[in-house]
Amino acid sequence: MLILLGALAAKSQQWRHGYDLMKETGLSSGTLYPLLMRMADKGLIESEWREPAQLGRPARHAYRLTTAGIALARANERSSAAALGRGVFA
Amino acid sequence: MTEAVSRALMVIVLHCHGASRREWAHAMRAEFDVAAADGKPFAFAAGCLFAAWGGMLKLPEGRHVVATYAIALGLLIPIAAFQFALALGFSSIFAGVGAFSGFLVPGASDNPMLAWSQLGAVPCLLALWLVLGMAHLRLAWVLIERDWARVVSVSAFIGAVLATLFILMTTLLLDVTFVILQAAVMVIEVMALLIAARQQTRLLLNSGSEISAI
Repeated sequence: MLILLGALAAKSQQWRHGYDLMKETGLSSGTLYPLLMRMADKGLIESEWREPAQLGRPARHAYRLTTAGIALARANERSSAAALGRGVFA
Repeated sequence: MTEAVSRALMVIVLHCHGASRREWAHAMRAEFDVAAADGKPFAFAAGCLFAAWGGMLKLPEGRHVVATYAIALGLLIPIAAFQFALALGFSSIFAGVGAFSGFLVPGASDNPMLAWSQLGAVPCLLALWLVLGMAHLRLAWVLIERDWARVVSVSAFIGAVLATLFILMTTLLLDVTFVILQAAVMVIEVMALLIAARQQTRLLLNSGSEISAI
């Protein structure tokens, strides 16, 4: 989930599609969608149907972090940075 | 060919998701077109199918669907196949009278007084075993459809046919071992169906209490 969280946090204001997230994170559809569902259930992401860029294509589901999701992503970044700092100076 | 198989998998994915996850199933379907355009339809569809199956097992509704399919495919259809096999066993009697002695009660010798009746009953017995087999296939179908009224009526019909077989075969001094075994199997079937029905009742009650809470 942390990889997905990081990918969403990198462009937190942007709506992201599932397949684009798959390519960016390297996660398979079998891993990505259960994660997205779990994050949506916990209120970490919001989703909506967005019209496609190309006419004639069906609408696609898009996702972005909620305020809670952004806060979690930042907390995760801070703890990762702290752990990295401890590792460097150990 | 790969894309056709992948599209078929996505249809299964759509059906595997319950009402609560139907939007996610449509979301996966929408992304499938992008994956297909990118040349990876099968990997995408297979992943979605595994996600759907995993999701099914986590939800009570999904577990109920899996349970009904398990009863239909793992119990009812094999029993139907067994009954068709028994019917085929009866049909072999038409090839020779000598084969009929295998269906007599152990220890009973061929009774010329009964022989005419016993041979005359063979088409009827064959038909009854075939009817039992078809009734089990019908039961599997209505169970998957979750048409509980028909489950009850088909089960009652199967019980009536078994009772008829028992009476007929006992009267004709035929070996009723298989009928008794079928009756025992029917008890197991009824228990499994009752558990599935109870599971569905609980699901309906839970969804009803959720609606009233809203």
